[in-house]
Amino acid sequence: MRLGDGGALTAMPAPVDDRGVRVLVVEDDQSIAGFVANGLRQEGFAVDVASDGVDGLELARAHSYEAAIVDVMLPRLDGLSLVGALRRAGVATPVLFLSARHTVDDRVKGLQTGGDDYLTKPFAFAELVARVQALTRRGHFTQEPSELALADLTLDRLTRKVARRGTSIELRPREYALLEFLMRNAGKVVSKAMIVSHVWDYSFDTGTNAVDVLVHRLREKIDKGFEPKLLHTMRGVGYVLRPEQ
Amino acid sequence: MSSAPNSSPLARAFPLRIAAWYAGLFVVSAMAVVVLTYALLARALQDNDHDVLEAMLNRYVNEYAAAGLPGLRRLITTDAGEGRHEQVLVRVRNNADENVYFAEPQSWDAVDLAALDALGDETAWTTLAYPQGDTRLEVGTAALPGGVVVQVGRTSHVRDALLLQFRDRAAQVLLLIIVIAIVGGAVLTHFAMAPLRALDATLASILHTGRFDARVPTRASSDPLDRLGGLVNDMLARIQVLIGGMHGALDNVAHDLRTPLTRLRTVAEASLLSDDPVAMREGLARTLEEADRVNATLRALMDISEAETGAMALTKVPVELSPVVQEALDLYLDEADDKGVTLTASVPDGTQIIGDRTRLRQVFANLIENAVKYTDRGGAVSVAVTRDDDRVTVNVSDTGVGIAESDVAFIWDRLYRADASRSSRGLGLGLSLVKAIVEAHGGLVRVRSALGQGSEFSVVLPTRAASAAAAGG
Repeated sequence: MRLGDGGALTAMPAPVDDRGVRVLVVEDDQSIAGFVANGLRQEGFAVDVASDGVDGLELARAHSYEAAIVDVMLPRLDGLSLVGALRRAGVATPVLFLSARHTVDDRVKGLQTGGDDYLTKPFAFAELVARVQALTRRGHFTQEPSELALADLTLDRLTRKVARRGTSIELRPREYALLEFLMRNAGKVVSKAMIVSHVWDYSFDTGTNAVDVLVHRLREKIDKGFEPKLLHTMRGVGYVLRPEQ
Repeated sequence: MSSAPNSSPLARAFPLRIAAWYAGLFVVSAMAVVVLTYALLARALQDNDHDVLEAMLNRYVNEYAAAGLPGLRRLITTDAGEGRHEQVLVRVRNNADENVYFAEPQSWDAVDLAALDALGDETAWTTLAYPQGDTRLEVGTAALPGGVVVQVGRTSHVRDALLLQFRDRAAQVLLLIIVIAIVGGAVLTHFAMAPLRALDATLASILHTGRFDARVPTRASSDPLDRLGGLVNDMLARIQVLIGGMHGALDNVAHDLRTPLTRLRTVAEASLLSDDPVAMREGLARTLEEADRVNATLRALMDISEAETGAMALTKVPVELSPVVQEALDLYLDEADDKGVTLTASVPDGTQIIGDRTRLRQVFANLIENAVKYTDRGGAVSVAVTRDDDRVTVNVSDTGVGIAESDVAFIWDRLYRADASRSSRGLGLGLSLVKAIVEAHGGLVRVRSALGQGSEFSVVLPTRAASAAAAGG
């Protein structure tokens, strides 16, 4: 499931303010729509919601959104037709498709322009946020600092040196990749799927606990014997790197 | 076909057309033969008549040259006496245009002498209209020295009578041929159309009853219609497998999802009833985990069903197997390390097959995961890729708990888990998925195991050349 390009995730600058970024959610399931809209508002996005394809198309043409989250199956006008109409109208808003299908629809692939993305239901909210951020930040690339720091943990991206409280820590390549990813998303919950698509070059979907094992090993190296603990497991959701609980 | 209410005008018209074409061709060719025979016969008879006449005329010309007019007269009289002139007209004219001799058969109508005079004195062969019907009169004229002219003539009515008789017979034969053509066409078409009628009846019965177990009766021959029937049967069998697979998949999904859904519901209910915020948080977290597990189970079940029924979308490209095995191995190096299990691999180059890279990696990941999971500290898991002429074998062997002999036969079944591993977490679908994917690649899976001594799982996949040959043949 690595359709969302990992490159966009990599290019994600550290903390960037999402406030005021307008996003449109087109989803007919009230519960999912409400959950997504509220969650995105808490992340600082300005969110409009449409519950069918026709309303969604009207809104998308009337306002300039920085991203649209569009369910593939919608009443009155399906998501693919909606986006097709939008593109024909010259609106280039990047789109994140939501679909209950487990395989990627060829027509979605065909419609995808540049940064458009695809997410299958059920999804982790953390992943949805990461995808939307990736979509809205295209073109907003900012220089990333070469040194990342959180509490007394530091990571130098040039020398690939990691240290905690001044003590150098030896990390294996995958452990380093995971830590860098977590530090760039410090304070944010990242899902297992996000870790998989970032740390490994290929997707896998075997119910393996490779991520747990990797996180466990990283925790042993960066948290063992140090306070405060930095790497926390959010059960059922993912992992987060932050100084407090 | 007559019983089928849906037999269209075309279905009825087609055999009719075939029969009509058959009968038409049959009759036309028979007629062509008769006409040709008639023409040849008529020509032969005509030539024969002419030859007789010509021989006679030559004799008279020669006689005149040898013995003059008296000699000719003698010869003609002798001929008449001997009955040679029964069907022949003979006339001799002198230089004064007087008939020296004239005789025609009594059965003839009077020949118009003026018409004979009109032929002139030139040596020539002429055909005249005989006064009666279509009969022709052929006349040979020879100009002799001294102004004498000899004419011999013969009518066509003897051979006309013969040809008339032939025509009558031919008409009767043709009538018989038409009857044979129509009956033969009908019978032939009936038999030729029998497989189509059987096909029609079978398909109609399937549409009518909705049961896919009906089959078109076929004979083992290379007849195109039998082949068509065979193809339809193959298609029906495939449809049946697909439908059966879908039914089975639905049953399995319902069955396999109920347990985790029940667990999910129980957890959610328990945490809702609790007043303790910590317990509620814990409950919510477990709910999420259970939801993920339901999703994973659903996905695995769909994958297995799709692979088993051939509906799985496999991106089949040439794949070098060794890196794929290495990637799968990579996923479990840390875990094996943590567990104190040695995980090693021997992966040579030149192991190209045709397959779906992601699915194949999933196969090896599942096998390696199993091996690591069921091997205790200090044990070893080794992966070996070997190559024969037409196949690549991947062996995943471990020194783990092994599988009891009574369980070996069932390990590929869905959700089957041997007693020894019941406590371990897992979907119990991994090996079914392995088997389904490998078989969808035209390969096979094997296992050898002894309780307490470890297991060896083997995946045998056809090489590129072998699978290309299979696809071509």
